Amino acid sequence: MSSRTSRTRRGAAGLTAALALTLGACSAGGDAGGGGDAAPGEVSGDITLLTPIYEGTEGQRLLEDELLPQFYEQYPDVTVTVDYTTYGQLNEKLTTAVASGLIPDVMMMGVGWIEGFADRGILANLSEDAGYTQADLEEDYAPQIVEAGMWEESVYALPIMLDTRVGVARMDLLAEAGYDHTPTSWEELREMAIALTERDASGTLQRTGFDIMSTDLRQGFETMFFSSGGSLFNEDFTEPTFNSPEGVETLQFLVDLVNTDGVEDIGFTSTDAEVNPLLNGRAAMGIAHNSLWTQAEEAAPDVMEHLQPFTIPGEVPGMFFGGTMASVAAGSDHPEAAQALTEFLASPDAALAANEQRGNVPALTELLDSDYVQGNVMVQFAMENLDVAQREGGPPAWLEIRGDIKPAIEAALLQQQTPQEALDTLAAGAQAAIDR
Amino acid sequence: MSTSTPAMAATSAPDLPPSRPSASNRRDRRARDRRRFATRSLLNLFLLVGAFTMIVPFLWMIFTSLKSPAELALFPPTFWPQEWRWENYPEALAAAPFHIYFRNSFIIAFSHTAITLVFASMAGYALARIPFRGREWIFMGIVAMLMIPTYSKIVPQFLIVRFMPLFGGNDILGQGGTGWLNSWWALIIPGGLSASAIFLFRQFYLSLPKELEEAARLDGLGEYRIFAQIYTPLVKPALATVGLLTFQDSWNNFLWPLLVTTSDNLRVIQVGLAVFQQLEGTAWGYLMAGTTLATVPMVLLFLFCQKYFVQGFANAGIK
Repeated sequence: MSSRTSRTRRGAAGLTAALALTLGACSAGGDAGGGGDAAPGEVSGDITLLTPIYEGTEGQRLLEDELLPQFYEQYPDVTVTVDYTTYGQLNEKLTTAVASGLIPDVMMMGVGWIEGFADRGILANLSEDAGYTQADLEEDYAPQIVEAGMWEESVYALPIMLDTRVGVARMDLLAEAGYDHTPTSWEELREMAIALTERDASGTLQRTGFDIMSTDLRQGFETMFFSSGGSLFNEDFTEPTFNSPEGVETLQFLVDLVNTDGVEDIGFTSTDAEVNPLLNGRAAMGIAHNSLWTQAEEAAPDVMEHLQPFTIPGEVPGMFFGGTMASVAAGSDHPEAAQALTEFLASPDAALAANEQRGNVPALTELLDSDYVQGNVMVQFAMENLDVAQREGGPPAWLEIRGDIKPAIEAALLQQQTPQEALDTLAAGAQAAIDR
Repeated sequence: MSTSTPAMAATSAPDLPPSRPSASNRRDRRARDRRRFATRSLLNLFLLVGAFTMIVPFLWMIFTSLKSPAELALFPPTFWPQEWRWENYPEALAAAPFHIYFRNSFIIAFSHTAITLVFASMAGYALARIPFRGREWIFMGIVAMLMIPTYSKIVPQFLIVRFMPLFGGNDILGQGGTGWLNSWWALIIPGGLSASAIFLFRQFYLSLPKELEEAARLDGLGEYRIFAQIYTPLVKPALATVGLLTFQDSWNNFLWPLLVTTSDNLRVIQVGLAVFQQLEGTAWGYLMAGTTLATVPMVLLFLFCQKYFVQGFANAGIK
């Protein structure tokens, strides 16, 4: 069912789908045509797609029963074999594929991954091969989203979906404490977090004023760090800068929240918790993923009206984005077919369907007006603020570096190291990885 | 544990005339009985607490699999489901082609177990009972293999599978095709035999008396019949232990099947369970429902092999 989509299914695609495909293909690629300069009828070949999204019955049904039949309407001589994986194992899957030389024609990977694979010559340069330019793409996407798919001034990947981390407040709990607005500065965030924190008579934490434990600590730290005006690396990605004064100040702020202000205890909640504490009243504010809205729809519909997203109010508004991008293998035997599929998956209708299936944030600016986005407060807020969103990554060694960030933050939170020591150690390791 | 005491042994001796126990003896016996009862009660209480501690996570998994998302969001969490949501099971099974995944996991686990029981027992027997030059070096090599982390073997093993000559379109030099990738060969052969299984079998065969072998040779039995008819029937606990451990390892295998296959028709149960753990969040109700179903074969297997399994653990000193 998954590995090879039967051509018989192609008949299911109707006129509407074909129209949607045509519009999508025209929009996403700017002037660049799908499959390079070749006409759709001339594009052919059996290609493979490696994807960490569209998994599970629902995802496979979307891809194989809805999206690919639309693709085949336009490219009848192309067949796509899909290899489903998970984000947790995507790196191993790509590593073994590269080592064995059996690289999928089209690969989906995360923000921050492109640079490393592009630098090693594994990804096709879409600027050279398909005529994509940064300026063209910036007509359809926010600039920093376009940059996430670029390496050394060239385009290597097209964005499909984003996932964001922002501040979220339970306005009903804030109102009980006398607040009618979300924080407007770090100082106010700290003051409100302290006021909203509740402990019982024995000192056991009942409600955190600001939850940082439900989100991956690396991404939570980066969300706060971006709001301090800091950046992870210097402009040419040759030096880490997360141990800058802004980085130390950010980590000190988090350490103080936990260890001085007692706003949250280590282990109070975690990324593996059965539900985000904002949904059951165990957190009044926190950093959360945009999927909080779809979780609330299922688990706590009553609190949806009280959820208020906000950018972290620092020197600049802080919002983190990651996401999934589609790229073409440099050594593909059928580069035009692979480019056509990449472009199709990034097109408005296909991308909207993929985002809706997972409750994520479409990367294409024009999708802000879609019913899906307008009906999801978290996604809508994220799209309306994409201009201030910042991403992680930068140097080709990012995948090597990122695994060390969480332990460094934990070391500081556990007071095993000062924030300065933790970030200096982290920066030294990152510098070594960059220099290798 | 023996329950006889010296006093009881004395009264049951055939050369002594039967006599009624004196009052002081009865008092002593009652005191001993009370002490024994107290000791046993304490031990049972201790074991009960241990058993309860071990079974609670299992019960928590089952009860979580029967809760609604709204109930899972409650704090403090409930132990008993307020509403028994049995539909979590069919809905979880519908989230991925679990019937294929179950079948594949069973085929792989059964194959690994069969290969291990046959070849690892032979290897263990040879290392334990057949003197040959270099035996100790080979054994040390196998022990050394136990220390190699699984992750460090993945890429070399993947390349061996990928470049397997004369398979998957490869030529004699392993070029031109995909080798064993995306085939049952890749799923079954590389994990078919483990150093730990050989090591365990060797230890079991070492513990058997040499006299059996000598008697068998005097009766004219060859090496294979000594292995198959004399010694191996005596290591049933080892067979059960190694078989269960191998089956469990294979059943829980996730990364290797994911790496060497691209088709859902060859994917395994753990890949199906991963569908419920996405970057955006975990569907705990469905994940626990799927996990509960995935543990059923292991529980059944343990129940059937329990006697030998416990013996095997006791003999091998493993945990």
